[in-house]
Amino acid sequence: MDALFDQILIAALMGVIGAVVFSAIGLISGSDETTTLAPLTLLVVLLGVPAAGVFTFFLAGAVAKHMTHAVPTALLGIPGDTMATPLMREANFLRNLGVPHIALRKMISGAVIAALVAVPLAVLFAVLLAPFGDAIKQGAPWVFLAAAVTIAYFSAGRWASVLALLPFVLVIIALQTLTGQHGVKLSVSYFLGIAIGPLIAALFAMLAPAERARMKRSEPRTFSLSPDVKGWGGWFPNPLKVLDRRQAGWTLATATVSSATFVFSPVAMTVILGEVVGARIKHAYHRLTSVISVRNGVTESTYIAEALIPLIAFGLPLSPVAAGPAAPLFNAPPRFTVDAATGQVNNLHNLLSAGEFLAFGMLAVLIAILIAYPFSMNFAHRAASFVSRRISHEAVIATFVGLILVIGLWEGGLLGLLVILTIGLLGGFLYRFIGFNIGVQFMGYYTAVLSVPAIVALFA
Amino acid sequence: MADDNLYEVWGDTVDSRHLLAAIAVGAVCSLGAFFLAEHLLTGWVESTQMARAYAMLLGILGSLLGGGVSACLFKPKRHVVEHVTDPAWRLQVIEELRAEYGGIGQLADLPPEVRNELRELGLEQLFDNAEPATREMPRHAAPALKGGAA
Repeated sequence: MDALFDQILIAALMGVIGAVVFSAIGLISGSDETTTLAPLTLLVVLLGVPAAGVFTFFLAGAVAKHMTHAVPTALLGIPGDTMATPLMREANFLRNLGVPHIALRKMISGAVIAALVAVPLAVLFAVLLAPFGDAIKQGAPWVFLAAAVTIAYFSAGRWASVLALLPFVLVIIALQTLTGQHGVKLSVSYFLGIAIGPLIAALFAMLAPAERARMKRSEPRTFSLSPDVKGWGGWFPNPLKVLDRRQAGWTLATATVSSATFVFSPVAMTVILGEVVGARIKHAYHRLTSVISVRNGVTESTYIAEALIPLIAFGLPLSPVAAGPAAPLFNAPPRFTVDAATGQVNNLHNLLSAGEFLAFGMLAVLIAILIAYPFSMNFAHRAASFVSRRISHEAVIATFVGLILVIGLWEGGLLGLLVILTIGLLGGFLYRFIGFNIGVQFMGYYTAVLSVPAIVALFA
Repeated sequence: MADDNLYEVWGDTVDSRHLLAAIAVGAVCSLGAFFLAEHLLTGWVESTQMARAYAMLLGILGSLLGGGVSACLFKPKRHVVEHVTDPAWRLQVIEELRAEYGGIGQLADLPPEVRNELRELGLEQLFDNAEPATREMPRHAAPALKGGAA
């Protein structure tokens, strides 16, 4: 009984830490989910935090981030992170109408409703899919290959991304062989290199005269910060009152649909489901507010489902979120591993039961809501003003450069750093020029680790 | 702040000299914390692996410290202005919405709660004027029909 109590206490504590940290990170524009969630979750795993605590940290962080990312999106007109980009159009319309606070409230209320339904639904779908788990594990190398090609085709690069998988995978294998000769086995360095690639590519571009001329700006960017009007008493406005009944209904329906479709890109699902709802609403104002509520709801539900379903049902990272920001829940050697040859997994999948995933998942979502929802409802304007006036972009970049150096040296010394640099530069440029996005690159990594040995065995 | 060193890097404007200095600060703080912690902890903590994991944690805290120092040293290159809503912008939004959605829609079609919301925001008149209740057919109806026939 005491052990159970301790477990719940640690889970709650880690959930609070995750929610607080990621509520703050959500306010900083451009703080992509993969570049922030993946390394910090990895750290929590490697520090030996118990399984339940690792899980609540990740989930509370993801849920909180997708609430506070609404603050810069609604009030400053800059996307809070990658998942906020599909919300920009509606947010800007509402901002120019002079009602950014409505955009903000609808977004976070949609997020609350969607997050609450997504956890039980994701666990349910996972339990339904679990009987196929063994078959999928047996064929894991081939499933990953198929998933990599599919996710590549649906990225912005289409066939260019599919073909670019070949050299990308080859480079990873070559680097693994090289570091292997020196007795260094890396994985985190690849994740970080992929996640931080766009920054590395941008810093290199700065050094090349022609690219540098293209990045030159004559004046600082202007951001117009919208006023925030508080229209309720107390700290915790009821999300079901902020949304009207139809909006709440659409948010529930789309959260349900997006909880089931866990293999697609979360950004794509956000765009598509927003369009589906928008097409059914005649009045322009109602359409704007409904689409923005639904879309932010979907950012929560796809994230939750894409992390939970593969984790509970298979233990294999078979979705864009599972392969990217949630990767350390699956694979964080030496603690969590996915074995290529046998399809054997040793990660949260084995450490928690479906019931525990449900209970700790709900705990994480509730903690995130209790922290991020009243915070973004009450302090949005002050937070956006502080971040835009005090936190320079130089400081954000300096923090990430420090992160790269520490993680690289920690995992593989100089070789680790060089691998981050190589993968980051290659991946960053491929993303910039052909739209070979981060999700595809993560699948490329898994193809190199899981599928290639099976392919080689086939021809041996 | 001289404006001739401004560049757009990773989605926002930076001053190239400040960026270089900030990267140096970030590197010194993070590596300093990491190596110092590794050096001190290896003797202290029994397992080398745990010592290194804690060193990494301290290194990450060091990189946050580096970010904090850089934030104090280098001010953001952003003009932040308090947004005042211009009535002309509102009309422009209405026109953009009309172009995008093919019509604004009738207030009468809205559920009462949404009408109340619009009234409280002072937007009811704007949307009512945009598509007065007397108009029979939205403007886009004709081309849409033509498209259907072709």
